[in-house]
Formats: sequence, C-alpha cells, structure tokens
Amino acid sequence: MSAIIAIGAGIAVMTGIGAGIGIGIATSKAAESIARQPEAKGDINKALLLGCALAEATAIYGFVIAVLIILFLK
Amino acid sequence: MEDLATELMSQLETKISFVIPIFEGIPVPASVVVTWGIMAFLMILTLVFVRNLKMVPTGPQIYVEALVGFINNFFEDILGEEGKRYIPYLGTVIIYIACANLIGIIGITPPTKDLNVTAGLAIMSIILIEYSGIHAKGGKGYLKSFAEPMALLAPINILEIIIRPLSLCMRLFGNVLGAFVVMELIKIVAPAIVPIPLSFYFDVFDGLIQAYVFVFLTSLFIKEKME
Repeated sequence: MSAIIAIGAGIAVMTGIGAGIGIGIATSKAAESIARQPEAKGDINKALLLGCALAEATAIYGFVIAVLIILFLK
Repeated sequence: MEDLATELMSQLETKISFVIPIFEGIPVPASVVVTWGIMAFLMILTLVFVRNLKMVPTGPQIYVEALVGFINNFFEDILGEEGKRYIPYLGTVIIYIACANLIGIIGITPPTKDLNVTAGLAIMSIILIEYSGIHAKGGKGYLKSFAEPMALLAPINILEIIIRPLSLCMRLFGNVLGAFVVMELIKIVAPAIVPIPLSFYFDVFDGLIQAYVFVFLTSLFIKEKME
C-alpha cells in the first residue's frame, strides 16, 4: 500500500516539469528582450516575476497535493 | 522516512500556545502569538523612526523615506492615480509577510506556515479586490462587469472570486511549507555548513519574493477590477 502511495505522490510532483519548462522559457525570453532593450529592464522584470509566480503556482499545487497524499492516505 | 512523515504531520498541525481562561477557554494558536510579536516589533520601529522628522532628512530617516518611497512608487505604477487609497493596506501586508517569512531565520516558526494565516490574508485580499470594483464602478457597474467580455463567460468570472484567494493562499502556504520540507531533508543529509547558503535562498530570497508576489498579484487584480 505504501509503495502505491509513494508512486501517487511522485506523479503529483510531476507538475514541476511544466513549471520548470515554463519558467525556463519565460526567463530566456526576458534575457533576450533585456539584451535588445536594456532601457525597458524594469517593466520586463515585473512581467517576468508575474509570469514566474503564475507558472510556479502549478508546481506548488502539485507539491501540496503530494504532501497531502503522503500524510493523509497512510 | 516514517519519522519524517510524523514530524511533518506535527509541523502541519496548528499549535496552541496558551488558552485564554474566559468562557469555555479560548485557544490561541502559536501563529497568532508570533503575529502579535511582529506587530509589536513593527510598532516600536515606526515609533522610533518617525520621531523628530526633519524637512531635510538625516541619518536613519533617509532609509525610512527610501523604503516608503519605493513601496509608494511600486504600487502607484500598477494602480494608477485612483488606486492610491489602497496603498497603505498593501504596504502593510508586504511588510508583514516579509517579516513573517524572515522570522524563521531566528528560529521562530513563521506564521505563514499556518494555513489559517495565509487563508486569512487571501480572504482580506479578495474582499479588498471586490470592494475596489464596487467603489470604482458602483453596484450596477460591478454586477455588469461579470458579463464581460460576453455574457457566456459569467460563470467563469464568478468562479474567479473563489479561485483567486485559493491560489493566493495556496501559493504562499505551499512555498513556505516547501522551503521548510526541503530544508529539513537537507539537514538530514548534511547537518553541518551545507544548510547555511541554501537557507539564504529558501528562507530569505524565497520569502521576500513571495511577499512581493502576493501584494503584486493583489494590486494587479485590484487594477483589473477598477477598469
């Protein structure tokens, strides 16, 4: 039983893949656009932080679900 | 593994620090006591730093003015002229969350690791967001704004009232809890020296970024509701 629970928690944490790819793309584009237009750095940073926060939220949900699975299903 | 699970479980529970002995006894959670501590600390700091204010700032007044100016500029950029009235609340929240996340460094459990605290903050945020919509557009305009950009999307707009505070609350709580779990795991693997630089990332950097993101999203939603 505990092995199945561990597998379930592992699958839940896989949401991190999407968040990682999303933040990676966002950061690469931000670096590109800062290189192109250094004077717009402040605005780009703000948009980047917002995008990262929203992308990261999915990873956090996956993590919370995984912790809940481990703690409450055993 | 089993020990870690039980320890995590005990960390997730709301700890009662003491019980007020009136009526049936009112339990006071530890997070509330820590919050009182932060409030007292911030109150003392404000009282100390606003004494003897001068027209030409000298000494610590320069830093206080720089901080207040930074917060005011940051929110004014997002909220615009008519959103100025919400800046004091948002500034208070960012200072509180930053202090609450950073207090873990001196060995006190951060209050934001309690789901009830983040839920409370998120509920206050959504009340402010909806209020700002009503204030800016009036009751009728506020109700009409649910049918935008077309009436078919009204259910999704109404769902957002629940989803927004839920995601604000879970983001803050999940980040603080996630940093805590990762730090516990690192402390099991390498108890000496290694946790120190990582603690700077997980406790200091992540805590400040989350405080920033929380108020940033709240002010973005306020701006969206006011338009």
